[in-house]
Amino acid sequence: MKTFLSALVFCLILVPTSLMAQSTVNGTVTDNANAMPLPGVNVLVKGTSRGTSTDFDGKYSIEVNQGEIIIISYVGYKTQEITYTGQSSVDVALEEDAAQLDEVVLIGYGSTTKQDATGAVEKVGDEDFNRGAIVAPQQLIAGKAAGVRITSGGGAAGEGGEIRIRGGASLGSNFGATNDPLIVIDGLPIDQRGGAQGSRNALNAINPADIEDFVVLKDASATAIYGSRASNGVILITTKKGSANQPFKVEYGVQFSTRKVTNTVDVLNASQYQQIVGDNGGDITTFGEANTNWQDQIYSTGTGAIHNLTVSKGYERFNFRVNFNHASQEGPLDDLYERTGINTSFVHRFLDNDLKLTLVTKAIKDEFDYANEGSIGAAVAFDPTQSVFDENGNFTQYGNGANLAPANPLWLLDDNNYNNRQSIKRVISNFNIDYKFWFLRDLRFNLNAGIDYAENDGYKFEGANPNDSNAVPLNEISNGLNRNTSLDFYFNYKKNVESINTLVDVTAGHAFQEFYIKSFVDRVAATTLTDTDINRNALESYFARASFDIADKYLISASFRRDGSSRFSEDNRWGSFPGVSVGWKLMNESFMENSFFSNLKLRAGWGVTGQQEIGRNYGYLGIYTPSRNNAANIQFGTLPNGDPIFFETLRPEGFDEELKWEETTQYNVAIDFGFFNNRLTGTLDAYYRETEDLLSRVPVPAGANLTDLLITNVGEATSRGIEFSLNGVIAQQENFGWDTNFNLTFQDVEITKLSLSDDPDFTLPTGGISGGVGNNIQILRPGYDPTTFFVFRQVYDDNGNPIAGAYVDVNGDNQITEADRQAYKKATPDAFIGFTNNFRYRNFDLNFTFRGSFGNYVYNNVASDRGNANAVVNQPGYQANAHASVLNTGFTNQELFSDLYIQRADFVRLDNISLGYTIPFSKMNLRASLTATNLFVITEYDGLDPEIGSGIENNFYPRTRDVVLGLNFTF
Amino acid sequence: MMLRTFKSLFMVLAIALFVQSCEDRLDLQPEDERLTADAAFEDPEAYKEFLGKIYAGISLSGQEGPAGAPDLEGLDEGFSNYLRLYWKMQELTTDEALIAWNDGTIQDLHGQVWTSGNEFIRTMYSRLLYQVALCNEFLRQTTSEKLDSRGVGADLRAEIQTFRAEARFMRALTYWHAMDLFANPPFVTENDPIGAFLPPQIQRADLFTYVETELLDILDEMAAPRANEYGRADRGAAWMLLAKIYLNAEVYTGTSRYADVITYTNNIIGAGYSIPSIPYFHSFLADNDSNGAQEEVIFTIPFDGLRTQAFGGMTFLTHAPVGGSMNPADFGINGGWFGIRTTPTFVEQFPDEENSADGRELLYTDGQNKDIMSVATFTDGYAVAKYRNVDVNGNPGSDATGNHTDIDFPMFRLADAYLMYAEAVLRGGGGSVNTATGYINQLRERAYGDTSGNISEGDLTLDFIIDERSRELYWEAHRRTDLIRFDKFSDNGVWQWKGGVQSGTTTESFRDLMPLPATDLGINTNLEQNPGY
Repeated sequence: MKTFLSALVFCLILVPTSLMAQSTVNGTVTDNANAMPLPGVNVLVKGTSRGTSTDFDGKYSIEVNQGEIIIISYVGYKTQEITYTGQSSVDVALEEDAAQLDEVVLIGYGSTTKQDATGAVEKVGDEDFNRGAIVAPQQLIAGKAAGVRITSGGGAAGEGGEIRIRGGASLGSNFGATNDPLIVIDGLPIDQRGGAQGSRNALNAINPADIEDFVVLKDASATAIYGSRASNGVILITTKKGSANQPFKVEYGVQFSTRKVTNTVDVLNASQYQQIVGDNGGDITTFGEANTNWQDQIYSTGTGAIHNLTVSKGYERFNFRVNFNHASQEGPLDDLYERTGINTSFVHRFLDNDLKLTLVTKAIKDEFDYANEGSIGAAVAFDPTQSVFDENGNFTQYGNGANLAPANPLWLLDDNNYNNRQSIKRVISNFNIDYKFWFLRDLRFNLNAGIDYAENDGYKFEGANPNDSNAVPLNEISNGLNRNTSLDFYFNYKKNVESINTLVDVTAGHAFQEFYIKSFVDRVAATTLTDTDINRNALESYFARASFDIADKYLISASFRRDGSSRFSEDNRWGSFPGVSVGWKLMNESFMENSFFSNLKLRAGWGVTGQQEIGRNYGYLGIYTPSRNNAANIQFGTLPNGDPIFFETLRPEGFDEELKWEETTQYNVAIDFGFFNNRLTGTLDAYYRETEDLLSRVPVPAGANLTDLLITNVGEATSRGIEFSLNGVIAQQENFGWDTNFNLTFQDVEITKLSLSDDPDFTLPTGGISGGVGNNIQILRPGYDPTTFFVFRQVYDDNGNPIAGAYVDVNGDNQITEADRQAYKKATPDAFIGFTNNFRYRNFDLNFTFRGSFGNYVYNNVASDRGNANAVVNQPGYQANAHASVLNTGFTNQELFSDLYIQRADFVRLDNISLGYTIPFSKMNLRASLTATNLFVITEYDGLDPEIGSGIENNFYPRTRDVVLGLNFTF
Repeated sequence: MMLRTFKSLFMVLAIALFVQSCEDRLDLQPEDERLTADAAFEDPEAYKEFLGKIYAGISLSGQEGPAGAPDLEGLDEGFSNYLRLYWKMQELTTDEALIAWNDGTIQDLHGQVWTSGNEFIRTMYSRLLYQVALCNEFLRQTTSEKLDSRGVGADLRAEIQTFRAEARFMRALTYWHAMDLFANPPFVTENDPIGAFLPPQIQRADLFTYVETELLDILDEMAAPRANEYGRADRGAAWMLLAKIYLNAEVYTGTSRYADVITYTNNIIGAGYSIPSIPYFHSFLADNDSNGAQEEVIFTIPFDGLRTQAFGGMTFLTHAPVGGSMNPADFGINGGWFGIRTTPTFVEQFPDEENSADGRELLYTDGQNKDIMSVATFTDGYAVAKYRNVDVNGNPGSDATGNHTDIDFPMFRLADAYLMYAEAVLRGGGGSVNTATGYINQLRERAYGDTSGNISEGDLTLDFIIDERSRELYWEAHRRTDLIRFDKFSDNGVWQWKGGVQSGTTTESFRDLMPLPATDLGINTNLEQNPGY
């Protein structure tokens, strides 16, 4: 921290110095297509530190000497160089570069350009982001990149979303190592466990409005440089920094939003419920007189507002950007998320630009007021004949003795009965030194020192079960600390060796990162618990990369990383992760001149990546755990007065001394192409991936260890896929523009081995469901997708109605046992698409994004659990409502494992649509926009929502439809 | 220039230092209450606490009561409790109990249609071998070399010798359960490592010899009967376990050992245990550790409503049988779980059935049907009001919320020893029919409150014994073993819903053994499945 402060002071003192006498040149930069002035264009004098950028009218002025070259560059346009020969003004019309082949793309410990990239790297910039009142950064790129699937967890305030790049290479955190990608923010790798506790989505700490772009590294040749954490892809997030010589700019943006659920679970109404009770010999004396739709009662319209105030200015050597933001979002259950953040970036260049210091600091306070989501299930199950309040104005309850009955859903939501708050303070800061050596200007040194520090404070209160007079409330205080410290540096040598016509780019470096997590909980309830858990783990790495661009045609890049993890014993600690990729810029071959193509490049890559994020530390050490509270004690003996004497117990934990890296090998081939002067461009990637030594939580041979399930290196998985994306600039006129992006992904994941022995039928249950304890609906089995369902095949009568309890006797033993359950369908899609269109007409703009998913299935657990008469009349001491599917099936008992409840869940969703209008005042820009999200979804699935990450719909917090009004002022 | 050179040098030095210092930082050890073995045993109390874990292996399910930090992760923690699983294996598979719930394959137990994929059977197996592994680890950590290296003093060493004998007793107890249920389980001792190896399979007869040898070997090191701390095993418990394996020796090895049953039950009977002159039902109340019932108990699994909490064990055995019109307050709990009842076959063991003069008949019939038309309906089948978390005066147990119970589970008690003695006499092991009849009448006098239920020597037959064992010991996790010994478990004996049909049907005799779980067969290639599965 001291380093940061001194650097900051240093930066502030050494603001711009004087220049030599030169002539001044003025000019205007316009868009060649529509002659509109382009503000913010970079204007630099080549080989000097002199530079500026254009103002709102596209005007600039710069000091320049005779013979010097002025470089005019702007993202999305072709860079122009103009030699100054004494012109009084230099006006430039920039041509749009649809393919943006010169665009700089980060690749981890360095950067390349789009045309020189050899790995599967995709960049999504802020102009392509999803619109709306978005608080979770991952939602910005949902549907925007091929091979990247983002599934939001529902409609709760501050909800994030699961990110899967190429489907994930591991078994997932329930069964071993995480499938979450590594996220690197401005060079600082974030803890894959989130980086902060108590948050619904730890990534919310990054203000979406501050994000410049996402770069998704998909294949192993690209990610191997992040070796140890790269198997599931890497997302590099760059935040906005401001630019050199930029006029003082103030931006203010505000978005007001409303959120409303679009669908609820189909349950019986009061008369249908009474009918079922009567038909099944239930107790009709319990009926109330109301017809209450409990789901309508619990969901309300939430509102939200997001404010962003940003000031930025660039001097010649110094630029800064400061953003202050506040976001509040209410969920339909009246839950609340609030973020207050200040984001700063300071960039200072010294020593003729040889030394560049960058300090990026984000300070965030995230506050969650969680709702009691138990009310979702309670609203499905609560007796619909009861009114919300009884005649005395108290919440209607089942009453004492029905201690297993649901509580009144509105009672559950009431602030007097439930309170669950978390306040998270977090600082993410990264200090970067980039230095070009004076004696060898092609040699660069780069150092990153980063810290991600979070503290959380939580309080939770749960009222005593109203149906149990003995019950006691729960009071819980929790707090935690997460600290992620990172220090890495590298040397980079980049030189165009003209003798061999090759651009050489070599990088070598070292990184160390440590994670410290402390969690404290103090719970006073029926059983008390006071406990502090501390976990520390560390990674150390050496990495190197060499890239060669031969004759601007042939690209070769090789990287190597050696990683050590504290999670493995000294013998297995270190893993080596190489990657190699090649590219051929066919377009630059002479035979391609005058061809139909405007760009053509072939790429191929191979790489090995590792995985060690199993959540637990010390897995290779035999450790001992004492009783965690005094309710887990054992009586040894009795005092003379007859009172028992209790002892703590001490448990040895299972361990695997041989624990080691999970390794993924990935092959990637691709073609990049462009037509019509790159107005139509596209990429086709195909990959094949094999994971070995899967870190999986599998059964140990009974008796061989001090546990039944242990995380160990067992099993193999393969995945393959094809990713296709197409970008088109359909219209590019002064008053009208239309561009479109379409991406399509096919993917297939399969477990190929799951146990030490090669038993092909070895099966692990997964996918826990409601309706009986310990029930699972999915399996892991060699030859199948890891989300495959495991069900009985339902038998139907002549009319097509299911026969209760009648299943196909697969093994023909005349009994229906679990041996007759079959692997059937899966939750992961075979294919998914994203389709975005942007229209511009004069000052209006319109854009919309569709997302679709195909080949995925969902198990409707609400229907299987509650779609039967016993859910109404055979409950322990009460009667509850049923899922409406009972009216079709007529089931008396739960038929939890029937394939009847596995339903096709293909969908196409209009994710968002946004209409904007820009009013260009002379000294100010105002953009007003109206956005609607989740307008409709087309699906066959008849449950709540076909888009369920796990494939099991059970008390899902319904997704909302948001309507957002946005205003952006730029001064 | 100087400045630059200096800066560069400084940077290089800083980097060199940094690279130097961080390899060590990958050697990380626990910093919270978790400990490495060496750190843990610096505390002399650790040995007793570890021994406590072995005993708690039967009553608790993890390191956080009532649930949290589970020992086993393959099934819901509450379900994975040793006593709960063992009880289900021994009772749900018989005429004594059935359950209404829809938890996975639980219905297959009463239906006797289980397969090697049954998660309850699998978790029982995992739990048994886990318990063995715990005992083995205790023995590895308390070898004289280890104690030497830790400088353990003489007093503690002497105590640890007794601990070691108890750990071996607990291992023998668990291996008995494994031998009884699975016949040929994997076999590991303290001489095996932890980790990457495949335990060999032991044959049932060899395991019998091992358990017998172990028990005989530790007898002298065990505390004298009734001389150990409450909750810990003593020589009486070891004798009882020997008597148990001898009584079933014919099933386990093909060779009967009834004379040995007489020997060891005589040892027990002479060791000062007594049938207290209090009503039978007092033995299953919250204060059964102090209301007199403890006089009979040879080995107990203590529970406490506040300090020894788990959703298995007695919490399960008290809540799960309560439902229908039963008043939870009468059971000292906050509510029933509407689960377990019994079959008409059991009801008919008692003369006059639910109105029997036999005080051991603790059936609850109000609103319950005797016959079971639907397994899932709690009110089908009479309920059983045996375990109640109230003291003799009706006051509830120590947990005011009514969640957890104080009832201690009597794993071995004198009544069982009497019945075993009588059975061994009838099966030709020696002893005296007259003495045996006297023992049985002691039990019946407690049951009837007077001598009206007494039997004569002529009444004492094997058929009487199997029924009397059910009347006396029902719901105490003996029934399956008893029925198999009397050949009435699978291909003989019918009760409602056996075989998965309402009226009940016989099943194939291979079901006298439980299958080895498919998962372990898939991993451990040393294992061979039991016949029939």
